Amino acid sequence: MDDMRLRFHWSLSAVGDTMRRGKAQTTMSGAFDLDTHAAFCREAERCGIDSLLMAFGFTRPDPFTWSAALGSRTEKINFLTAIRSGVCSPTLFVQQVNTLSVITGGRVYINIVAGRAPGEHAYYGDFLSHDERYERTDEFWRICHALWRGDGPVDFTGRHYRVEGARINTPFLSADRDRPRIYLGGNSEQAIQLAVRHADCLLTFPDAPKVLAERIRPVLDSGTKVGLLVSMIAKPTRDEALDAAAELIAKAGDTARDVHRNVRGGTDSVGFRSMYQMADNDSAWVTRYLWTGAVPYLGAPAISLVGSADDMVEAIFEYRDAGVTEFLFTGFPDLEQMRFFAAEVLPRVRERERESASSPTG
Amino acid sequence: MATNSRMRFHWSLPPVAATNRLRGVNSGPVPDQAANLQGQLEFCRRADTLGIDSMLLPIGYQRPDPVTLAGVFGAATENLRFMVAARSGVVSPTYFVQQINTVSALTNGRVSVNAVLGHSSAELRYYGDFLDHDERYRRTDEFWTICDALWRRDFPVDFAGDYLRVEGATINNQFVSPERSSPEVYFSGSSEQATRITLAHGDSLLCIAEPPDELAKRVQPALDGGVEISIVCTQLSRPTRDEAVRAAYDIAREAAERSKNARQHFRRDKVESEGFQRAYELSERDSLWTTPYLWSGLVPYMGPPTVAMVGGPDEIVDAIFEYHEVGVSQFLFQGRPDLDTLIFFGEEILPRIRRREDASATSNGPPTASSAGKDGGHG
Repeated sequence: MDDMRLRFHWSLSAVGDTMRRGKAQTTMSGAFDLDTHAAFCREAERCGIDSLLMAFGFTRPDPFTWSAALGSRTEKINFLTAIRSGVCSPTLFVQQVNTLSVITGGRVYINIVAGRAPGEHAYYGDFLSHDERYERTDEFWRICHALWRGDGPVDFTGRHYRVEGARINTPFLSADRDRPRIYLGGNSEQAIQLAVRHADCLLTFPDAPKVLAERIRPVLDSGTKVGLLVSMIAKPTRDEALDAAAELIAKAGDTARDVHRNVRGGTDSVGFRSMYQMADNDSAWVTRYLWTGAVPYLGAPAISLVGSADDMVEAIFEYRDAGVTEFLFTGFPDLEQMRFFAAEVLPRVRERERESASSPTG
Repeated sequence: MATNSRMRFHWSLPPVAATNRLRGVNSGPVPDQAANLQGQLEFCRRADTLGIDSMLLPIGYQRPDPVTLAGVFGAATENLRFMVAARSGVVSPTYFVQQINTVSALTNGRVSVNAVLGHSSAELRYYGDFLDHDERYRRTDEFWTICDALWRRDFPVDFAGDYLRVEGATINNQFVSPERSSPEVYFSGSSEQATRITLAHGDSLLCIAEPPDELAKRVQPALDGGVEISIVCTQLSRPTRDEAVRAAYDIAREAAERSKNARQHFRRDKVESEGFQRAYELSERDSLWTTPYLWSGLVPYMGPPTVAMVGGPDEIVDAIFEYHEVGVSQFLFQGRPDLDTLIFFGEEILPRIRRREDASATSNGPPTASSAGKDGGHG
C-alpha cells in the first residue's frame, strides 16, 4: 500500500539562488555552496521529500560528484541525478551510478534528459538533432539495462553506441533494487515512447488535468508512472499566494524576460516550447491553480501551482485523478516553500490518501 | 625553498581489503562493497596523517568510478590529494573538466589527474572505445587540447579534430584551488608518444620503475622539456632487508600456487603498452634482481605495477635517492600488504627521507656531500 502513495520530490536547481533562472546562463554561478545544499537535503529528509533533483548543464557542477558529496552527509534522502546521453559511455555511466549507490546505500534515482538546447550540447561534443538524440538515448538505455541485469558480458552494436564484452564489477547496491529508479524528462512523442520502454516514470510539464490525462494515457497504460515537473507558490491564503506570484515576476523584471526570449529561441524541446506557447495565451491561468505568468521570466519550469494549502491539495488530487502519481516541485525560495508544503500540504494529502484507501470504493 | 624541492610520495588505493597481500592475483567482484568503501576511506585517512601527498584512484571495470569517489574521500581528509585516473575515450572532455572542477570545489583543489591510455583494448571495448594504441594517443592529444583550453577559460572553446569536436564550449564551474587554475596532470606511459603528450599537456611523466640507468636515458627528453618524472612501483619494505626478501619470495610462491596460468593471461591481455612490455622483459631476464633492490618476481602473477622496490628502510631510502639522482622527483607506491606497508613507509622511511633531504639542502658542498648525509648507510 505504501507504494500507492504519491511521491514528492524537490529540485535543488535553484537552492540558495532563488532567482537563478532569471539570469543569463553565462552569468549563473557555477559554484554552489555545499553547506547550504547539505542543510537543504537534511531539511528535505525532515519534510518527507522522497528525492532531490540534481540538474545537469554547463552552468552547474557535475551532478554525480555533487550528489556523492551530499550523499555522504545525509541518511534518507534520494538523489535524482540528471544525466544526458551523449556525454559519456553508457558503461562508465552505469559504473558512476553504481558507485553512487555504494556511497549512499542505494539512494540514487536517475533523471535522463534528452536535452533542450542544441547550442549547449555542442559544448559537450554532441551534434545530433532532437530525433537522433532520442534514438541515441534509446541505445544508451538498452546498454545500461543490460549491464544492470547482469546477465553476462554485454555486446551491443547500434548506430550511436557499440560495446563489446562489457561488464563492471561494482554492482548497484540497494536493499531492494538491482538498478536505480529511472525518470525520463520529456514531453514529445519520442519521450513518451522512450519512457515506456526504459523508465519507471515520465517527468513532464503540467497542462490542464483533462488535457494532460489524454497525453499521458499511453504511458500509464504501459505501467510507467507519470510525474509533474511544476513550481509551487503556496501561502496560507489564496490571496497571499496571488500576491507572491505577482511579486515574483516584478522581482524577476525585464532582464529576466529578455533572457528567456533568448532561451526560447535556442530550444528544440517540445516541452519547453509548449510552456512558452501556453504563456502566450491571453490568460495566464490554465486552470484555477495552474499559472503560466512566471514562464516568460523564469522559463518553462516556472509553470506554477498557485494557491492556499487547500488549493494545493485540490490541485494535487485533480492530477492524481488524471493519473499523475509523482510531483517534482521548485519554490521561490525553495526552503520556505518546502517547509510550508511539509507543514500544511503534505499532511492533508496523506490524510486524504488514507481516507480514500479505507473507503469501500477506494 | 627546501619544501618545494622535496620529493613527493603518492600511494595507489588498494581495490580490496587492505590487509590481503595476495590481492591482484585473482581479481573478482568485491563481496561487501559498502564495507570495502569504508575500508578504503580509512586507508585514505591514514595516508593523510602519514604525509602522503596524494592517493591514486585507479580506473577500470573492476573498480568504482574514481571521480565519484574523489569528492567523498576528499571530504573525509585534510591534506591528502586525489589523483583521479582518466581515459580519454569514455567521456566528453567538457563533462570531464566539469567533473574535475566539481571535485576541486569539494576539496579546495586537492585533485590531480592521471591520464592513462588504457593498456587493454579488450577492456576499452567494454566502454565503447575501439581505437588502436596509436589512434588512442592522437585522440588523447585532442582530448587534452580541449581540456587545457577549458581550464584556461578561453571561452567559447571551438575545436574540431579527427576524433573530438566541440563548439562554443563554456562551463561555469571553475577549478578551485589556492595555487592553480587547473589540476596537475600525470601521463602514464613509457613510449616516445607518452613523452610528447606529457610535454604538450602534462606536469609529469609517470613511468613503471626500471633500473635507474636505463630509466635515466629514457626520461631525459622529458626532463629536458621541463616536466617532472614520477615512477610507479610496489614497495616491499620490512624492518630488515632479509625480512623483506623473505616476504617477497613468500608472496611470489603463494601467488604462483594460486594462479598457475597467470603469466600467460597477463602477457596475452596487456602487451600493447610499451611500459608493460618492458616490465615483462625485466621479469624474464636471468636474474629477477635488476639492481640490489629492484625485483620483478611478482610481475608474472600480479602485473607490471608490481615491479618491486625491496628492502629495509635503509635500502628503500637509498633506492629512492638513486632515482632522485637521475631526475625522479615523485614516487607512486603500492604495498603488499597495502596498509602495513603504507604505515611502515610513513613512520619508518619517510622521516629518514625528509632528514636526508634537509641535510643535503643545508650543505653547500659538492654533490658527494649528499651521500654523506644519509642515515646509517650500508649499501
